[in-house]
Amino acid sequence: MGSASTSIDSAAWSWRQASVPLAVVGAVAGLALVGWLTTPEFVTYRNVQSIVRSAALIGIIAVTMTGITMAGSFFSLSVSQTAAMAAIGFAAFMSWGWPVWLSVLVTFGIAAAVGAVQGGAVALGGNPIVVTLAVGAVLFGTGAWLTDNKTVRTGTDAADWIGTSRPLGIPTQTWTFILITALAATVLARTRFGRELTLVGANRLAAAASGLRPGKITLYVFTVSSLGAALAGIFTAAQFGQGRLDQFDGADIDSIAAILVGGAAIQGGEGSAPRTAVGAVFIAGLQNLMVLRGFSFGVRILFVGLAILVSVSAFTVLRNRRQMT
Amino acid sequence: MRSIQRVDPTAWARLGLFVAVFLVFSWRDDRFFTTNNVFTIFEGFAFLGLAALAVGVTIIAGELDLSVGSAAAVAGIISVSVVEKIGLIPTVLLATLIGIAYGSFQGYLIYRLRIQSLVFTLGTLIGLRGLAFIISGENTVVMRDLEIARTVRRQLWIFSPFSLVTLACFVGVALFLINTRFGREIYAIGGGRQEATAAGVPLVRPLVMAFALSGALAAVTGALTSIKSGSAGPAAFETLLLPAATAALIGGVSLLGGRGSVFGIAIGALTLRFINSGLSLGGAPFYILTLATGIVLIVAVVLELLIGRPELRARWRRWRREPGLGLRPRHQPAG
Repeated sequence: MGSASTSIDSAAWSWRQASVPLAVVGAVAGLALVGWLTTPEFVTYRNVQSIVRSAALIGIIAVTMTGITMAGSFFSLSVSQTAAMAAIGFAAFMSWGWPVWLSVLVTFGIAAAVGAVQGGAVALGGNPIVVTLAVGAVLFGTGAWLTDNKTVRTGTDAADWIGTSRPLGIPTQTWTFILITALAATVLARTRFGRELTLVGANRLAAAASGLRPGKITLYVFTVSSLGAALAGIFTAAQFGQGRLDQFDGADIDSIAAILVGGAAIQGGEGSAPRTAVGAVFIAGLQNLMVLRGFSFGVRILFVGLAILVSVSAFTVLRNRRQMT
Repeated sequence: MRSIQRVDPTAWARLGLFVAVFLVFSWRDDRFFTTNNVFTIFEGFAFLGLAALAVGVTIIAGELDLSVGSAAAVAGIISVSVVEKIGLIPTVLLATLIGIAYGSFQGYLIYRLRIQSLVFTLGTLIGLRGLAFIISGENTVVMRDLEIARTVRRQLWIFSPFSLVTLACFVGVALFLINTRFGREIYAIGGGRQEATAAGVPLVRPLVMAFALSGALAAVTGALTSIKSGSAGPAAFETLLLPAATAALIGGVSLLGGRGSVFGIAIGALTLRFINSGLSLGGAPFYILTLATGIVLIVAVVLELLIGRPELRARWRRWRREPGLGLRPRHQPAG
């Protein structure tokens, strides 16, 4: 696991060190068991595939945002607006007759700039919550202003394959979710950049004292998160042939929930991309099970909230206990 | 401890911004400074000010309550459902009590579990929203007797019962924060948690107090706003955090905790209302208001970064070691 913990004996594997990852795995196993016992259609290949598919977009946003949390900048509250803006931008570029590759490229370029601005502001000392809240509002306002708060259609089916094709019977979104998780896991746990990022999150001063540049890393993680949100936006715009401003309402809260259920430490320095992905799948699975059981919308949200409360409380207790010894 | 009663040195700058915004809009539009428009501004202030006060109190305590919007929605639905049976004043009192109970429970759990409020209140933000959908049956709850709604928004010169309640809340919270031991403890744990605990402040008390205040104020916001409009929807107040935090921050509440005043929050809320009201009179659609709020928030953040005051730099150095906003090293449980 990529939980490069900062405790003294991080080399030695111990139950204490593994408590958070084990808790995440245990939660998923518990959900699968309850589903299997109560609802026969829950644990079938078809249904599991549909759970992962429904987790894919939030998963992509959450996995790419995990770097922000691990680097000690909490999270971003502007990803839903970034994704929506990317969807609108991509749809507009396509409708202007641009080729697919150019539309994708320009959308990513704009998203990277938006992310870098936020990362820069946070690196200079801005509070990440407030900076991203403000930028999210500006993105929403600008988007509504430019589009007159209307739906933007691509007007062409040239990009449909991005959102609707199914290589080997699995949707592109799911493939991308899996690939991005693997890529992020490798970068965060196996590369120099990932280790630097973890150190910056664990102890900013120590990182700066040992010659790292926390500001630069902050800039990168916000840019990556913004790119991930833009990718989700492009997928949606390509799939439905349109971009709308309210398409991603609540996506920021959902992806933060996935990160937290995946056991990342909000103080930074601890977390992992695969665990965040599991968090996203867990929430989607819980939702799916409750839909199959015929729970109403309100009850489902209430239970998701309770699941988050229970898991973050459990992780905090486990972590505090670990630190005391 | 006496230092918190000193006037914030930037208060004059904020007051200046407030007067400038006011003058610009009253100069540009004759309708701006009329009894009716000032009444409208105060109505908006009543709503925004209460929400800003709710968010501001927890920021002063070095925490953040993300769940205010959902709490307001739940309180709004309960209030609209019962107000015709038990009357206006008992309803508002009931909402307040529910808010206090919810807030103190949340504050106690945050203390007991030694958990970041940012993380915990994200869970309650989602959970309470679910509760709002459940108790409303996923529909907008409406009042049949609109006479009660009219009572709440009846115009008394530039005030209404709603804005008068808000002003009373402001005075009450100000007196509480400045003059009681509990209030000073909230400032103390926000400004320097370790120092405060070392000095013998029991953390549980100010934490429970701050979240109880935040819960109560959110509940009153939800109750009065919903009763005033005669209806309460389960998805209401979803974007409450943006204007509330903006008003608190331009009012001088520091995200590092421990700094900010109730008077400043009032000025902040009024400034934001002036801007919104001025833009609305100019016929701007709702999203321009969001855009303006976002820009104001960015300006506030940049100003706070740029003002190169030495104490701010010292705080910044300390923030890099122990980030504010509920991210100070957690306290040890008492006893």
